Formats: sequence, structure tokens, C-alpha cells
Amino acid sequence: MAKPVVKKEYTFLERIYLWEIVKGLKLTFKHFTFNFKESLKKGPHTVPTCWQYPEDRRPIAPVFRGAHMLCLDDEGRELCVGCGMCARACPAKCITVKRGKPAEGEEGKYAGKTMSTEFTIDMLRCIFCGFCEEACPKGAIQLGQEYELAEYTMDACIYDKERLLANFQKAKAEGKLKPPKKPVPVAEGDKKAAAKKAAQKPAGKEATKSKKATSKPQAEEKKASESKGEET
Amino acid sequence: MDNWVIALIKVVFIWTWTLLIATLMTWVERRGSAMMQDRLGPNRAGPFGLFQPLADGIKLFTKEDIIPEKAHKILFSLGPILFALPAFSAYAVIPFGDKLVVNGKEIILQVADVNVGFLYVVALGAMAVYGIVLGGWGSNNKYSILGGLRSTAQLISYEVPFGLSLLAVVLVYGTFSLREISLAQQGTFLGFLPNWGIFKQPLGFILFIVTAYAEANRVPFDLPEAESEIVAGYHTEYGSMRLGLYLFGEYVNMYTLAALMVTLYFGAWHLPYIDMSKFLGPVSYGIASFLVFFLKTAFFLWLFVWVRWTVPRFRYDQVMGLGWKALIPLALVNLFITALCIQLTV
Ligand code: SF4
Ligand code: SF4
Repeated sequence: MAKPVVKKEYTFLERIYLWEIVKGLKLTFKHFTFNFKESLKKGPHTVPTCWQYPEDRRPIAPVFRGAHMLCLDDEGRELCVGCGMCARACPAKCITVKRGKPAEGEEGKYAGKTMSTEFTIDMLRCIFCGFCEEACPKGAIQLGQEYELAEYTMDACIYDKERLLANFQKAKAEGKLKPPKKPVPVAEGDKKAAAKKAAQKPAGKEATKSKKATSKPQAEEKKASESKGEET
Repeated sequence: MDNWVIALIKVVFIWTWTLLIATLMTWVERRGSAMMQDRLGPNRAGPFGLFQPLADGIKLFTKEDIIPEKAHKILFSLGPILFALPAFSAYAVIPFGDKLVVNGKEIILQVADVNVGFLYVVALGAMAVYGIVLGGWGSNNKYSILGGLRSTAQLISYEVPFGLSLLAVVLVYGTFSLREISLAQQGTFLGFLPNWGIFKQPLGFILFIVTAYAEANRVPFDLPEAESEIVAGYHTEYGSMRLGLYLFGEYVNMYTLAALMVTLYFGAWHLPYIDMSKFLGPVSYGIASFLVFFLKTAFFLWLFVWVRWTVPRFRYDQVMGLGWKALIPLALVNLFITALCIQLTV
């Protein structure tokens, strides 16, 4: 409900302005002296309300959605199985995945039976929604904390697999990995069903599912990237 | 010959000094306002961002000089010059210290002790409005012309109380020469107050400072350029160094007005209760008087900035109302009372 406006009669002091101006001057002076004293302190982050960006950085929440990375497990094996769920889920259609089998003698490098032979993310199109992260059954793709993603060329903005893996290494070295996900609380009645589901979760079933999933979005993705090429 | 050289030195000195202060004021204004608004202001160029005015100057000089196609070429280029010239020359008659005695020669710290110095300052102050009006008119832009019109309307409402409040000062000191007025402010008044203009003309000072803000086109009377209403007012179409002249002229104007306030109402170079000339050598006394004068001026310069970032702008009709319905009657009353007091005491 709108508040009725009560017009108040100004007192004489208010009507001659001067005293009110003096009151205002007092207020600005308070701010001035406070900030002046603060700004004399050492260090880049001086005035409390002011962050001087390249020197001062605000702390980032652990769930921040920045540049992507492809994760490795504790034994240093690639988690991604090339299923293409992320590409399917991506609303911007910016992920391209090709699934393949690891080469002879290289099976130890991959956590799953299959792997991605190609994995690119077009960062120019990505909207950092994080759907890819949610869709991935293996927790292989994650959005990290890097947010300074400017590049000089458009090509440099298309991240390939090496770069995504390097992102992970860097985040790991800096201790900026996401904390492990908390289990989603399940309601009493659903618990049994959930347990049942968890029990029958063989890897093979998933692989067949993802086979279907990958083929279509990939074709679409190709088309999209081709048409984009024409535009540019 | 000697006198010529001394005069030349004084002219060059005061010119560079005013320019330096005006330059510094742009920096003070930006950092000061930042501090009042919990920001930091320009702090990258040089220590504390002190070289920022230099960078701005270089930028303004190297920018392309554009004259709008439909603008009146002559008036457009004349505007900034007409604005800046009076601003730069007004300081000539205002003292910046007492005197310096070098080799037995007395040098008055004032470029020209004109016996109608007072009128000269007032006349030049009113001249500056021509620059604004012509610039606004010549730009052929609706916002510019609005700014110019506002400037004229503002002029007629503040120039009268401005003149009347100054007239009261003339009555008190009985002279038009700014140096004589400054000299008359030594010693004490009624036994305990410093013999300053403010204690003899308290109402006159308030009227003067209010109208001085209008004269300098500063908030709360910055109607001619009111960014939030008419883009940038009279200098909407200006760029490069022409704009620079307008902005710079404003700060020089501020400096002149602040110095005028100190000269008329705050005892010029005199310290309250202390007579510096008694225990300082001739040269050090000259320098000390200059410094005292400058410090007082600096306070009023700071007040200009301080007020600007505190109060909002007056509405157009409010300025008119304030000028005609409050300031002019008050100035007349002030003049009347002053005249009466002088008549009774003399
Ligand atoms: S964050 Fe969103 S837009 Fe970006 S790659 Fe992942 S799913 Fe696509
Ligand atoms: S959903 Fe996960 S496992 Fe599947 S391709 Fe994407 S990143 Fe790899």
C-alpha cells in the first residue's frame, strides 16, 4: 500500500538552508576523514568499500562457475568416458565430444573403459550455466574458479582437451578444487528405491545409453560450428 | 626599468601560480569527492595520482578539435576564450601577500594596486558570462542554448546581491582598493575580535559566499551545466582544449573568488592577534604573508569542493526565488544597517 505523503511544514532553520547545509557538510566531512585515514594505510586494499581489482581480489565462493576443467581421479586417470552427456545438456551447444577406445597400452590413463578422443568447449558461446557439470555421470567436467578468460583471438577461446586438463592441474596445485558434493537428502519413502537404483548401476548400461546420446548432439554441434565459421 | 622587470616577474609568477593551483584543484576535486563518497579517485598516475591533471591536459591537447557543422564558427571559437580570459586576468588586482623588501626596495605582493580594483573584479566576473552565453548560442544545440539562457537568468538574480554585499564592504573601509582594505584589517576590533571583515559584515559575508558560488557556476548553482538535466549545458558541443578552457576557467574563477573572500572578509595576510611584521625579517615576512594568505585561500577553495559534493542543485525557479526574494532584500537591509552604523559612529 502506498504510504500517504505527509507534507511537513519546514521550520525557519530549514527554510534558510544554511544550517541544513552545515549539517550536510558535517556528514561528508565524517566520510572524508574516515576514508582519508583508511587510505593512508599500507596495502592495496585501503578504502574499505573499494576493491582495486588487479591487486585486490574478492574471495570467490567454492561453487563459483568459472572456466571448465576436466578432472582426473586420485590415481591421475582421466575421469571422462566420452559419453557426451555434457554436450547433450549444454544449452549453448558449445561442447564437442568424440568417444573412442584408449589406444593399446594406454588403458591405465583412463578411469573408464572408453575415453574422449576429442573434447572442446567453445568458451565464446558458453554461458557458464553449469549444466554440463550437473549432467556428467562421472563428475569429470567441472567449472573452476578462473574468470579472467579474455584472449586476443577467437580461436584461442576454444579450449581443447589439453587445456581443460591443464586447468585441472592448475586448480589442484592452487588448492582451488571444489569440495566434494554433499549427498542430496532423500525422503523416507524414496530411500529404498534409491538404494535399489544404486545397486543396479552397471557401467555397461550407461555406455549404451550414452552411445545414443552422443551421436545426435555431435551432429548438431558440427553443424553449429560450421555455420558459425561462415558467419565469421 | 626596474619597475617593469618587477611587474613582469609578478605577472609571470601569479599567472603560473594560478594555473598551478587550478590544475591541482582538479585533482583535489576528484580525490576529495571520491573520499567523501567512499571511493578512491584517480590514484594511478604518479604518487597519489598527482600527475592525473597532466595526463588530462595532454589528452585534451591531443584530441581532435571538432566544430559542429551547423555551429556559428566565430562565436563557437570565441566562447571559451571570452570565458577564460576574464578568469585569468581577474587576479591582477587581488593581493597575494603583503610586501617583500629586497635590497631596500619595497615590492608589493600584488600585480597592480588599482584604486578601483574592486570594480575591476566585479566587472570581469560578469564578463565571464558572455563566454558561456556565446558558447551556448554558437553551438546551435538545444541543451547549449538552455545552459546559456540559464546562465543569463542566473546572472541577473545573483549579480545584484553580489554587488550590494560588496558595496557594504566599501562603506566599511571607505576605499575601492583591495590592498588598502587588506591593510585596514590589522589589529583587533571591539578589543577582542580580530579586525576582520567577517566580524564587521557577518550577514554581508553570507550573502557574498552564496553569490560567489553562483558566480563561479558551482553547485548548488551550477544550473548552466546541470549534467542531470541538460546534458552538459553550454559546453555540450565542446571538446578538446576548448572544453579544457571552460573547465580550467572555472577553477581559476574559483581561485579568484576564494582570494577575494580572504581579502575582504578574512583579514587577507593578517594572523589574528599576532603581528608578523614585528618579529620577522623583511624577506621572511613577505614569504610568511604569502603563505598565510594562500592557506586561507586554500581553505575556501576546499570549501568550494566540499559544498559541491554535499548539497544538491537548486531548481531553476528556486534560484530565481532565492535571488530576488531573499538575497536582494537581505543585501539591501545589510547595506542600510551598515550605512546607519557608519553614520552613527563617525
Ligand atoms: S556451462 Fe553451460 S553453456 Fe557452458 S559448457 Fe557447460 S552446459 Fe554448456
Ligand atoms: S558427461 Fe562427463 S564423462 Fe561424459 S563426455 Fe561429458 S565430461 Fe565426459
